[in-house]
Amino acid sequence: MTMSAWTITEGSSAHKAYRYVPWAVFVLVVVTAPFWAVHTPSFSVGDSTFTFSIGNLNHAVAYMVGVLGLGLLVGFNGQISLGNSFFMGIGGYITATLVTDNGWPFLATLVVVLPVTFIVGMLVGLPALRIRGLYLALTTLGLAAVFPAIVRLQQLRDRTGGANGKRIASDLDAPSWLPLESFAEFLAGIPLIGEWAFGEGRLGAREESAIWVYVLLALLTAAAFWVARNLIYSRPGRSIIAIRDNETGAAINGVNLQMTKTLTFGVSAALGGLSGTMYAMAIQFVAPDVFGINLAIFLIVGLVVGGVGTLSGAIIGGLVIIFIPIWASQVSSVPGVPERFLRGPTGVFFLGLLLIVLTFFLPGGIVYGVRKLRSRLVSVVPRRPEDVSPDVPPREEAAESIMDRRDDAEASAMSAPATTDSTPDQANHQGETL
Amino acid sequence: MELFLARLFDGISSGATYAVIAVALVLIYKATTLINFAQGELAMLGSFIAYVLAVEQGIPLYLAILLAMVLSAVLAAGIERTLIRPFDPADHLPLVIITLGLFLAINATAGMVWGFDPRNFPEVFPDGNLLTFGIARLRWYTVGTLATVLVLLVLLNLLLKRTKIGLAFRAVSSNLESAGLVGVRAGPTLQFGWMLATAVGTLAGVLFVADPFRQLEPTWAIRVLIFAAAAAVLGGLDSLWGALAGGLILGLVESIAVGYIDFIPSQMGLATAVVVIIAVLLVRPAGLFGAERVERV
Repeated sequence: MTMSAWTITEGSSAHKAYRYVPWAVFVLVVVTAPFWAVHTPSFSVGDSTFTFSIGNLNHAVAYMVGVLGLGLLVGFNGQISLGNSFFMGIGGYITATLVTDNGWPFLATLVVVLPVTFIVGMLVGLPALRIRGLYLALTTLGLAAVFPAIVRLQQLRDRTGGANGKRIASDLDAPSWLPLESFAEFLAGIPLIGEWAFGEGRLGAREESAIWVYVLLALLTAAAFWVARNLIYSRPGRSIIAIRDNETGAAINGVNLQMTKTLTFGVSAALGGLSGTMYAMAIQFVAPDVFGINLAIFLIVGLVVGGVGTLSGAIIGGLVIIFIPIWASQVSSVPGVPERFLRGPTGVFFLGLLLIVLTFFLPGGIVYGVRKLRSRLVSVVPRRPEDVSPDVPPREEAAESIMDRRDDAEASAMSAPATTDSTPDQANHQGETL
Repeated sequence: MELFLARLFDGISSGATYAVIAVALVLIYKATTLINFAQGELAMLGSFIAYVLAVEQGIPLYLAILLAMVLSAVLAAGIERTLIRPFDPADHLPLVIITLGLFLAINATAGMVWGFDPRNFPEVFPDGNLLTFGIARLRWYTVGTLATVLVLLVLLNLLLKRTKIGLAFRAVSSNLESAGLVGVRAGPTLQFGWMLATAVGTLAGVLFVADPFRQLEPTWAIRVLIFAAAAAVLGGLDSLWGALAGGLILGLVESIAVGYIDFIPSQMGLATAVVVIIAVLLVRPAGLFGAERVERV
C-alpha cells in the first residue's frame, strides 16, 4: 500500500520525465538567472519593495560552497564545527592580497588558497580528534571569533588593510569570445516573457562583468559539488559517514578514524577557502568582520535550512543566508512594529528564528521537506519482470520496502543527523543530490 | 612594580567578571551537560533589562538588578520549557542549533530595540579607589566584583548542598535516569537550573557593564562568552569554584602576559582565551577542578 497520489513504473517514460525534468528546470534557472538578475528585478508587497540583484546572487553562490564545506564536516562526518568562517577568511584574504598586491589573476590564487586552507584545516582537525561534540563546537566558535582580531594585527596591517578592510584592485572583465550579449538578446527575444524578464537584451560593461563573475562562480560551485558528491559516494565517503553513525563500529570495521576525520576537516576547510576566494571575486572587498562569529553561525543556518546531511541543501542555504537578511532589511513597515525596530538587524533576527523554527518543524531542512512532499505525491515502483507469469503475487511488497527505506532515512534524519543509526547505505541515500 | 600591580588589578577585575559568566555556564553544564551558546546573550539581555528598569523607569539600582534577575529567570524558564525540553539531552546537534538560534535572535532583538549606541550603566559600586600605589589603583569596582563573586559562590554552594531543590539538582546532574527512578522530576529541576544560571548571568552582565571603563551595547557579550567559556573549561566545566579560579587565571593571563610579552599584540587577548580552551581540552579535559569523566563505549 502506498500513500502516494500517483504511481510511476521504473523505466517508463513518465519515470524518465520525473527524473530528468527537475534537472532540466534547474539547469534552465541556473543559466538564465544572471540575465534576469542583472536588471535587478523587484517585487512589492504592501509598501515594501524587495530586490534581487546579481551582486547578491553572486554573493550567495560564493556562500553555497562555504555551506557545502561545513555540511561535509557536520552533516556527513558528525563533527560539530562552527569555525568554517575562519577558513573562508583565510581564503578571502589570501586572494585579496595576491590579486591586489602581487597582481595575480583571481583563479590562480586557488593554487595557494586550496593547499593552505587544507593544511590549516588538518591542523585544526588534529585537536578535534580528542575534542568532541560540544567542546569542538566551542573551540571552533572561538576560532571564528579570533579571525577578525588576527586580520587587525599591527604586523599584518600592510597586507590585510587592518580594520578598514581591503579593496581588491582588479576587474574581472568578460572575455570577448563569450557571446553574453547575443545570449541576452536571444533571451529578450523569447515571445511573451522575454522582454518582461530580460529587458531589452542590451548589456553594459558592468553588467557583462557581473555575469562573467557569475559564470566563473557557477563553474567553481559545480566543481565543488562534483568533488563533494564523488567523495561522499566513494569508499572514503562511506568511512566518513560510518564515523558519524557509529564511531566505534566504524573503527572495528577498519576505518582509520584519525586519518579520516582529519582529512574531512582538511577538505571541509579547503572548500571554505574556495568559498572565501569566491567571496573575494564576487564582492571585490574583504573586511575583518565579514568573516567573524556571525558568518560562522550563518553558515550553520544555511546548513540547517537546506538540510543537514544533504549536499543540495547547500544551494538553498547559500541563497537563504544572503537573501533573508537583505529582504528583511527592505521591509519598510509592519503593522504594530515600530519603524525604528525595522532599521535594526531584522535579518539576523529572522535567521535566528528560522534556525529555531526549522529545528522544531522541519529538522531535515527544505531538501527533506521537498523529498517528503514528492514521495507523498509520486511513488516509483519497480517494473514487473517480463519473464514472470502474471499470476505471481504483484510486486507491491518490493515497492513497499523501498518506501519504508525512504521513510527510515527521513525518520532518522528527523532525530538529528549527527547520531543517526542508519546504515551507510541509507545514509548514502540521504546524500543524493536533488 | 607599579605597572605590574596595575596589571594585576586589571586582571583581577576582568577575571572576576569572566568568572561570574563562567559560573552561569557551569550551572547549565552541570544540569544538562550542555554548553549554552546563548548564555552570554541572555546576560546581555539581562543587563539591558536592569538598565531600562534603573535608568528609564527610575527604580532604585539594586532593586532593579534584582528585578532584572527575576525577569530573566522567568524568561529562561519559558525558553527551557518550550525550546530545550522537547529535545533529547543526549543529542547535542539540535541543542547546539537551538542555542545558536537563540544567540542570533536575542542579539538581534536587543539591536532592534535598543540600537547599537553605547550607553553608560550606572555605577553599582562606589567610584574611586580602595588603594593607590602610583599608577596602580585597586578600584572599589574590582573589590566589589570580587566580593560579589565570592558571596554568590557561597550562596550557590549552600543552595546546592543544603536545600532540597539543590539535592534534586545534583541528583539530576549526576545521573538523569537514576534521579528519575528515585522520584526526582527531571524537567522542572533542569528548568530550575536554567533559571538559576540565567539569573546569575544577568548579575554577571550587570557587573561587567557596571565597570566605568565599559559601556552597555548589544555586542558586548560575544567576546565575553569566549572568555567565560575558556574560564569554565580551565576550571573544569562542572566545578563552581573552578569557574572562579579559571576566570581569575584567565584575567591575569590576559592582562599580564599580553602586557609583558612583546610579540603578543594587545588584540590577541581573545586568541589567548582560545588557546587556553584548546590546550586544556587536549591535555586535561576535566580542567583544574572538574571531575574526570569516564567514557563508556
